[in-house]
Amino acid sequence: MSQKRPGVLLIGLGVLAFLAVIVGAWRLAVTIDDTMAFRAPTRSAPAVAETESGAADQGWTPREQALADEAAAQAEADRTKPYVEAEYRAVPRIGSRVAIWVVAQLHLLFAAFVLAVPMFAVVVEAIGLKTGDKRYDDLAYEFTKLLSVSFSLTATLGAGLTFMLIALYPKFTNYLMSVFSPTFLPYVLLFFAEAAFLYTYYYGWGKFGPKLHLFLGIMLNVVGTGIMFIANAWLTFMSTPSGVSENGALISTWDAVSNYTWMPINIHRIIANLAFGGSIAAAYAAYKFLSAKTQAERAHYDWMGYIGNFVAMCGLLPLPFAGYWLAKEIYAFSQTMGLTMMGGAFSWLFIIQAVLIGNLFLFANWYLWLAMGRIEGAARFKGYIWPLLVIVIACFAVWATPRSIIASTEEIQAMGGSSHPILGFLGVMSAKNTAVNIIILATFVSFLLYRRSNIIKTTARGAGIVKILQGLLILASAAIVIGYGIRGYFVDAATRIGFSVPQVSSVLFCMLFVTMLDAYLTRGAQATKTQWGRIRPISQYVLILLAVTFTWMMGLMGYLRSGLRLHWHVYGVIRDTSPDAFTPTLGYATKVVSSTVLIFFLMIGFVFWLAGLSGKKVGAEEEEQADAVANSTLGFGPAGAPATASASNTATASAASPPPGNRP
Amino acid sequence: MKIPITLQIALLAVGMTGFYTLVGQAVPQKEVHPPEVIEVAANVTTAELVEIGRTVFEGKGICQTCHTIGKSGALRFPDLQGIAERAARQRPGYTQLDYLAESLYEPDAFIVPGFVAGMQPANRPPIGLSDVEILAVIAYLQTLGGAATVTVDTKFVYTGGAREQDAAEAATEAVADAAGSEDEEPSDLASGEAAEAEAAGDRAGGDDG
Ligand code: HEC
Ligand code: HEM
Repeated sequence: MSQKRPGVLLIGLGVLAFLAVIVGAWRLAVTIDDTMAFRAPTRSAPAVAETESGAADQGWTPREQALADEAAAQAEADRTKPYVEAEYRAVPRIGSRVAIWVVAQLHLLFAAFVLAVPMFAVVVEAIGLKTGDKRYDDLAYEFTKLLSVSFSLTATLGAGLTFMLIALYPKFTNYLMSVFSPTFLPYVLLFFAEAAFLYTYYYGWGKFGPKLHLFLGIMLNVVGTGIMFIANAWLTFMSTPSGVSENGALISTWDAVSNYTWMPINIHRIIANLAFGGSIAAAYAAYKFLSAKTQAERAHYDWMGYIGNFVAMCGLLPLPFAGYWLAKEIYAFSQTMGLTMMGGAFSWLFIIQAVLIGNLFLFANWYLWLAMGRIEGAARFKGYIWPLLVIVIACFAVWATPRSIIASTEEIQAMGGSSHPILGFLGVMSAKNTAVNIIILATFVSFLLYRRSNIIKTTARGAGIVKILQGLLILASAAIVIGYGIRGYFVDAATRIGFSVPQVSSVLFCMLFVTMLDAYLTRGAQATKTQWGRIRPISQYVLILLAVTFTWMMGLMGYLRSGLRLHWHVYGVIRDTSPDAFTPTLGYATKVVSSTVLIFFLMIGFVFWLAGLSGKKVGAEEEEQADAVANSTLGFGPAGAPATASASNTATASAASPPPGNRP
Repeated sequence: MKIPITLQIALLAVGMTGFYTLVGQAVPQKEVHPPEVIEVAANVTTAELVEIGRTVFEGKGICQTCHTIGKSGALRFPDLQGIAERAARQRPGYTQLDYLAESLYEPDAFIVPGFVAGMQPANRPPIGLSDVEILAVIAYLQTLGGAATVTVDTKFVYTGGAREQDAAEAATEAVADAAGSEDEEPSDLASGEAAEAEAAGDRAGGDDG
């Protein structure tokens, strides 16, 4: 009974919330009225009729006569009321912009999640198929379980966004539709296909042949990416328009689609979605871990959280590079816009961004260090953690220091200029570049240590030399990065731009080779058990902080993308003439972002709760069976040789088996 | 009493979000408003034009996003100190005013040596200054190393006027016909105004940025 209560309570709350939404929407509808400020006048001035004549004739009192005349005048006014196209309509209190902003951001967050989950679900499923390890298949299924409700929410929010655009920004929306009308049919078709693939992928789990099922998953990704590319065309066009004349007349839809920032944003988003989706899935696992009742459950969700976080890190590491490409294209489109971003109104936004990115890396490393707790052999690496922590924090500090990035126009000049207008800005980021490369390197080392903790005894020949080689490679790469970083201050910008290339490539090279050496080193090595579930609970809170931070990052950068347009709907083409045309302060913007993030977590919490429900009934029955499977069929004795892929390594080397996911 | 997990997570999320909101409050707060239309009366004096021009230059013209006044070194954008004098000799065949007008209306027509194209026409979006605003900016630019000479009635080739050089060229031709030499250093023979401004610039020592 006591188990039932919260459920009933939640349903009650849900009903209440639903009613509140209905009432709220109705009130909104009746208050959006043309007497509201900001709305284009739609009614001619109320004609107050002349009431001189006729009063005596009909024996009416002057008051009756006046009323009759007024009614007649009103009727006449109504009949001849001219039709005026409204340009804007206002939402009371918060204004149209904030209303659109919040709904669009929520839509984007859910869309990002819905696009990201299939990406790694399919990979996890494929690993399961390849290794024949059922746990992977189960994990993939568990990820997918989070999808279907999120998918409906994405679609609902998308519809809400569209209606709101039409209602609140009718003229501009109409314009955008006229430019992009040829993209609508493909979009709708892709959307149908997305729904079809998603539901067959989800409901068809275990019912189709594994190859066919995997194919469905891959198609789900292909179609989803297609949808995103189309939607990205609309919003990148608004920032960096092409394919239209100076007054906005359409010249070529394809040019409008393939504008300057379209591809960079496509790529940046795919990666960011992956990072974000992984972190949300990890947060789900963390929640389940914390509320787990049995050791087996804890083991399973520890593992799931680990994989989610691993996915997030795979997205996080290349993100800065994708970001630079995006910024470069913005400069190529318009120096004015680029400078507004990095040197003008938005330069302080990048300080906030630096704090977020610093936190992301800090939390990610922290999680890895805590995760060593589940590995018996990890104690010997404890000594490395403090120096790594110091390094990460120091880099964070450099990055978040305003002086190390361009904070004002003056600083651009103060740091010297180059004759290269597009790449020039990269050059001034000497310190920042160095810091980000070192942070990436430090995170990589943390990961290496984590992997290494498993190994008791290596059997590879020349292990000692290989280890020294690895250490040297890492040190050399760090030296290269720092060396160039320091030299960057003594050379002119044109040379300095070139420095980011050896910096980045030395880090990439180092990560590649050290991983290869590591694979050699750990081949056939004797490994300890990874005791899934034996991790300090605080690690799970770190996963949740990571998810909140990623979400907040999405919100902030979404604001940047839109804010960069300043007082334009379509930059330089269609002006925003509404009262919301101004660009708010960062303080205000961050409040809106925070509210959106909290609303998102409320909603995703609901999704998680539902996902938990769907598994419950069967889960109880299968529990024992699951344990049996875990302990016998898959036979996790002392771990065998870790595979090369780090994810599968830790997974196959695991001792305690995560129980299979629950199926409805 | 143990706090329920859901509540713990909610508190954590609110706390983290709150922290980022605080960071957002800690940075400088600036609201950017759309540029306002600047009214210029038909009878403003040149001095008033200069003042209006300065406002536009520092405000809606967003010239300062790129340009400095009085900085040296390896700059990404031309420093505009002394532009008044430079303008008169920057481009052969151009008077100071023609050059300044072209710099604003058609910046890509001539790229300042040592720099790369990247300025957008000032009369077109996203900057989108009106003709009279551009006139005011030119008046202001004339004071950077020179003295303002334009009036509200000054017309450029972009605003329905003739290129001053055309007039000058005609004169040059006449001179050339007489002297038998063709088009030599035409800018030296440019309209008196530019020469005057140049002289004024020399006198002022080119420093009022
Ligand atoms: C996006 C950056 C940018 C902005 C904004 C900008 N400019 Fe420029 N400007 C340049 C560049 C780059 C050059 C040099 C290349 C060229 O000649 O086109 C230049 C050249 C000039 C020149 C010629 C300089 C010389 O030494 O001959 C003048 C005059 C000028 N700009 C005035 C202005 C004014 C006035 C504004 C504001 C209305 C302005 N610029 C806004 C980038 C900019
Ligand atoms: C570690 C570094 C970075 C991370 C983690 C990161 C993360 C993100 C995320 C999560 C988004 C939201 C994507 C979406 O809404 O689909 C985003 C968008 C954006 N990022 Fe980055 N980014 C990084 C680096 C950069 C850099 C260096 C720049 C440019 C200087 C940049 C510029 C942008 C812009 C303009 C957007 C808006 C585009 C959009 O909304 O899709 N980013 N970034």
